[in-house]
Amino acid sequence: MGKDECKTMLDALNKVTACYRHLVIALGSTSDSQNLREELKRTRKKAQELAVANRTKLTSLLKDKSISKDDRAEYERLWVLFSSSMELLEVDMKRSLEIGQDFPLKVPTRHLIQTGMTGSTTTVAARAMSVQNMKYEADSNIDTADLRDLQCEISQVSQMMEEMEMKVQVAPWAVEAKQEAGAELKSNMSVGNSSVGVISICEEEPKEEDGGGNRDAGFASICAVLVFFVIVTVAVVLGYLVINMS
Amino acid sequence: MTINTLAKGGWDREQMACFRKMEKVIVAMQDPDMGMKMRNQRLLITVIPHAMTGVLGELLLWCLTEAVHLSGMLVRYGYIYPLKEPRSLVLRPDESPYRFQTPYFWTSTRWPASELDYAIYLAKKNIRKQGELMEYEKERYSLLHKRINHTWDFVVMQAREQLRASKQRRKADRIVLECQEQAYWLINRPPPGAHNVLDMGLERPNNFSKTVGVFVYDVPSLCICVCMCSFVKYSEQYQNHDPIMQGCLPSNPWISDDTAHWTMSSEIVPTPTRLRVERWSFSFMELLKDIMGMREFMLYLEKEFSAENLCFWQACEDIRHGESSRILEKVEDIYKNFLAPGAARWVNIDSKTMDKTLQGLRHPHRFVMDDAQMHIYFLMKKDSYPRYLKSDLYKNMLAKAIVPQETKKSVFPFMRRQRHSSPSPAQAVIQVTEEDGHAKGAGRAGTNSAAGSHV
Repeated sequence: MGKDECKTMLDALNKVTACYRHLVIALGSTSDSQNLREELKRTRKKAQELAVANRTKLTSLLKDKSISKDDRAEYERLWVLFSSSMELLEVDMKRSLEIGQDFPLKVPTRHLIQTGMTGSTTTVAARAMSVQNMKYEADSNIDTADLRDLQCEISQVSQMMEEMEMKVQVAPWAVEAKQEAGAELKSNMSVGNSSVGVISICEEEPKEEDGGGNRDAGFASICAVLVFFVIVTVAVVLGYLVINMS
Repeated sequence: MTINTLAKGGWDREQMACFRKMEKVIVAMQDPDMGMKMRNQRLLITVIPHAMTGVLGELLLWCLTEAVHLSGMLVRYGYIYPLKEPRSLVLRPDESPYRFQTPYFWTSTRWPASELDYAIYLAKKNIRKQGELMEYEKERYSLLHKRINHTWDFVVMQAREQLRASKQRRKADRIVLECQEQAYWLINRPPPGAHNVLDMGLERPNNFSKTVGVFVYDVPSLCICVCMCSFVKYSEQYQNHDPIMQGCLPSNPWISDDTAHWTMSSEIVPTPTRLRVERWSFSFMELLKDIMGMREFMLYLEKEFSAENLCFWQACEDIRHGESSRILEKVEDIYKNFLAPGAARWVNIDSKTMDKTLQGLRHPHRFVMDDAQMHIYFLMKKDSYPRYLKSDLYKNMLAKAIVPQETKKSVFPFMRRQRHSSPSPAQAVIQVTEEDGHAKGAGRAGTNSAAGSHV
């Protein structure tokens, strides 16, 4: 059905937008590299394809006059989701242009900011492109060559957003969100757990990993206690048998 | 007299950037408060002041103080963030560690942090800490939930996806990322009571013409509409005439209690001020708005034997802005004097407009003369006005016009009449123009204090 298809496509666009932002944050830092620039390029292109597909689908759904009021409200909500996603994407593309220009890779004295992030962003990009492994095939001058493409794409995206505002008559302030405040806490994803330990390093006073792997530490200690009791039981049993034997 | 630095090649030699910077440093060292402390040099019986010791003395001390100040600024503005006690962005005089911020999160007025981003950050934090946000963050969360309620679904979705994306990286990078984000939001949305470094308040630099120019040239892909261009031109043209931007001569009456400025700029004066006469050349409307301008223009037209145009225009204006009860009689007067065939001061209007006006005269109302008035207005504007500006009459007026002298500061402080007494945009403009003017010369006072007035 139209709605489900739309939702799936929007979820995909949302995922790519989040990954793109993650990649742009790494620009100019020590995790910047040829590969990162190529990942940015491919993620961006994927985002644009998804954006165009979403826009066509949603515009055709909204133009249909025969839909019910509830359906229309739902499509308007999806439209607001789509345009917010596009806003974020546009800003991130502009920023990536600016930072990409300020930090070229192929210069004799390369000054990338030493931010402490040294890992690669391959897995993030693979998630965005929905592939298992990324293959890198770009030329060595991608950091300058890509910038020209980026400028064109930015103007394309800006144009698309202007057209969207002109052609589709949706009042964003009239849309009511389905999620209430704090809805993210009710999710069934296990994102929270493993990262709880990470926060304490930044937030609290310098006790490394203290509140930290609280849950992990708890689990481990329970295991240890159990093993201890098993061993003690075995030892007691053996001792009793030895005493009995002798 | 200027020193001629033209080499044989025929182009000006420029001071190298590094020398200019060193000159600025040297000048800053001379500041009586923040500059270097000097000692005396003793040669047997002669004592010469203004000496300094190098690495083990004043020079190093001054450089260190400046360095501490600079590093403090880097931390306060978020380019470097502390690793221990991350909530307090200050430079500590101990061994606490710091780290660089990634370029995406550098403090920027060009890319201000948006409400949507902040909401996504708070939602992410909410998930990570299972609802244990700080008090002020909870308040802001609910405020944002109300304010951008229509995109709240997007906020939740995006927060989840961003967390999933960051899970893809290794643990060390994830820690760094969270610290970076936290530092960024501490700067852009400081907790209540903390100093907001992005709020410059009254000291916000007012670089008027530069901002306007930059706006125009920095937007290559958007089309610059005609009104923006004309606004820029208008601002540039009128900048020197604006009493707030340029200060008013002889002195600001509100500050110095000297009403000379108002007396000199009143409606009818024997000699108008220079600025006023210059304004007459900006546009025809400026000339007509000024009573003296209109009088002068009338004199000129009388010489050219086309004064009836201006009289007609004035009469039409009178109808438009005058009393309703007298409209009828005024319209008849106009017809008799200007429009009737064989009238004493017949105006030259094209036949179409004339027909329309005559028809309208059957049922006269306030705006019946509008078309004719407009026709005559444009006639004068295209024809007589440019000639007037080139005429001797105008040029003499310009030469005769007075430029009031800025009142000198008197010896007694309480008798001073100042042109600028409070920090005003005028000071910033003067400073900028002075710096530009002396940019090529040898080091001159590029100090931070106002160059315009030394109070």
